[in-house]
Amino acid sequence: MQKLNYRSHSLVPYLLLSPTFIVLLLFLYWPSINSVYLSLYKQAPFGRNKIFVGIQNYVNLFQDPAYLNNLLRSTFFVIFTISIGLIFSLLLAVILNQNLKGIKFYRVIFFIPYAISSTVAGSLWVFLLNPVAGQVNYLLDLAFNIQVNWLTNSFFAFLAIIIATVWKNMGFNIIFFLAGLQAIPDSVYESAKIDGAGAITIFKDITIPLLSPTTFYLIIMNIIFSVFESFGIVDIMTQGGPADSTNIVIYKLYREMFINFRPGIAAAQSVILLALVIIVTIFHFKYGTNNVHYQ
Amino acid sequence: MKKTVLLVLVSLCFIVSFSAAAEEVTIDFWHAMGGHNLEVVNTLVEEFNNSQDQVEVKAQYTGSYNDTLTKTQSAVQTGTAPNIIQIYEIGTQMMLDSGIIMPIEDLGKEVAGDNSFDWDKFLVPVSNYYTIDGKLNSMPFNSSTPILYYDRDAFEEAGLDPNRPPQTFAELKEYARKLTIKNDDGTVERYGFTLGIVGWFVEQMVANQDATLVNNDNGRSARATASNLNEEAAVRFVKLWKEMVDEGIMLNPGRGWDGANQAFASGRAAMLIESTSSVAGFTENAKVAGFELGTGFLPRPASANRGGVIIGGASLWTIADHPEEELKATWEFLKWLSEEEQQVYWFENTGYFPVTKAAVEREMNNKFFAKNPNYLTAFLQLLLSKKAVSTQGALIGTFPEVRQIVEKAVEKTLEGNMTPQAAMDEAAERVNKSLKEYNQLYK
Repeated sequence: MQKLNYRSHSLVPYLLLSPTFIVLLLFLYWPSINSVYLSLYKQAPFGRNKIFVGIQNYVNLFQDPAYLNNLLRSTFFVIFTISIGLIFSLLLAVILNQNLKGIKFYRVIFFIPYAISSTVAGSLWVFLLNPVAGQVNYLLDLAFNIQVNWLTNSFFAFLAIIIATVWKNMGFNIIFFLAGLQAIPDSVYESAKIDGAGAITIFKDITIPLLSPTTFYLIIMNIIFSVFESFGIVDIMTQGGPADSTNIVIYKLYREMFINFRPGIAAAQSVILLALVIIVTIFHFKYGTNNVHYQ
Repeated sequence: MKKTVLLVLVSLCFIVSFSAAAEEVTIDFWHAMGGHNLEVVNTLVEEFNNSQDQVEVKAQYTGSYNDTLTKTQSAVQTGTAPNIIQIYEIGTQMMLDSGIIMPIEDLGKEVAGDNSFDWDKFLVPVSNYYTIDGKLNSMPFNSSTPILYYDRDAFEEAGLDPNRPPQTFAELKEYARKLTIKNDDGTVERYGFTLGIVGWFVEQMVANQDATLVNNDNGRSARATASNLNEEAAVRFVKLWKEMVDEGIMLNPGRGWDGANQAFASGRAAMLIESTSSVAGFTENAKVAGFELGTGFLPRPASANRGGVIIGGASLWTIADHPEEELKATWEFLKWLSEEEQQVYWFENTGYFPVTKAAVEREMNNKFFAKNPNYLTAFLQLLLSKKAVSTQGALIGTFPEVRQIVEKAVEKTLEGNMTPQAAMDEAAERVNKSLKEYNQLYK
């Protein structure tokens, strides 16, 4: 009797999951499938003419040195923003984890950049880095007597968008590191201290390993942030210039679609991007988990 | 009895108001005029709506020119396109190929059957741009060209004649050198010249040497298939640009307009090339900053033929797929916009050219140009331009992309990793590829 009852309810989990599936289907899988379909065509603006070209869009992309450079540049961008971003955030999180007066106020301050939109963040950095009236150059001039052409020099422009992206995402990383730090029980630290471990040893051998689940999660999130969401900052600060030095995958894709009006090539780029992110994530899950210690 | 009369009256009222409402046709107008110009557009639209009770125009600001084009594309595909859209001049070929537009001349002559409209009322350089295959395709609306702006006081200070702005490339360089002030520690206090990295300036400089940007008569006798960017006219200008930046007499403010404008307005640069639509802003700014503003024609190499400038800005396009009464209403509005009164209002409030002869004549008669000589510079440069395909402007289906290719080439040159010729060769090759891909779609 009970077994029968159990079976008759076997549909319930699916029913309960169905809203999620419907949302995923409509907003994730359907557009993705559509991108693959679009990437096989060449389409005129206003959708007037549509020619089936097979994998020609992909072939063209991989034969285009500008696109290959773009991929390489984006890889550097992702690696730099993530490593610099996570290191800085961890250091700040450790400082913000101290039991000081008014520490909550500081925590809020460090979180604010994450709460503002990337358009606003980009504009702020444009002001700060303005070669004539910007605060950054003013301070550099006072301290070292140098003037940097932040946004008109390829190297510095690339550096500038890395700084801005790191700054923008730092709040998010800090919050998670803080939560991770607070989850480490004091008893662990105490016993380490009794064993005579110094501050650096404790940080290196206890804090970092015990934070590894957080770090693992943050790496995935940061890959997604720096690949997809740095768009706003690039658009406001450099528009991919000078001479393509800050043109990263997501921005090139946008230009191809909304300025050059080539849905086919843009769709092909988004499919490639999707594939790359999936591959990186799989690798990360496969090999990254070796270093993750759950308590 | 009274009740019956009242009932009849009330129902009559209903019928009358209902039919009146039904008679009023609503048309949607999407435009890209933000900030101050948004108010000017709204005032014009409101005035039109109040001037009659048959047509109600709903104006909507849809972001930049590029955003407006993007929104129109998706609206067309979902069947919710507006009646009128403002499209920048470089979108002209794309609109012609779109298959969604109705040439304004067809709209006026055939749909609206308007025989009284004078099709020659537009300024020739303006209507020339939008006349393709012998037909005016869109209603000229906001037009502008680039001119040279300079600080007259700085000229005097540097021992230059403020009544004689530089006319040749060599002079531009020489003047910039004299106008540049360097500090003892090597930093530059004031640059002689500045120019934002905007593809439009290269296009204008090519036309000013009476050369074309693409083959097939600038894409006007047949679809363009090859770019002329790597030919003398364009390369010569990019070379000058690089030489001046390298010498430290010209400020490179990066891509876009803002950096250069700020530099000129704040006195960091003594000369600038910018759109005529900024005359009002710069005049105002010069007053506040305490210097006298001068304007001149674009310089050209001494050896080059005198060409002229191409009209920039945007025009209004009609979308064909709408009921006839809406199309007729669209025509009423566009016709109204081209009337003298509205043109003068538009010109005086925005700085964009009036596009009709009558409006220019009126401004001359009421001494507007005598009082505002800088506006006269803009007009004379346009009217003295040679009438040729070079100054008619290029028709390129992928013009927005071409502009970016040019900007990238200029950046590569200024960064010093490519010679002007090599960068422009690469740019020309990219443009050729882009043209080929585009043309394949319209075989």
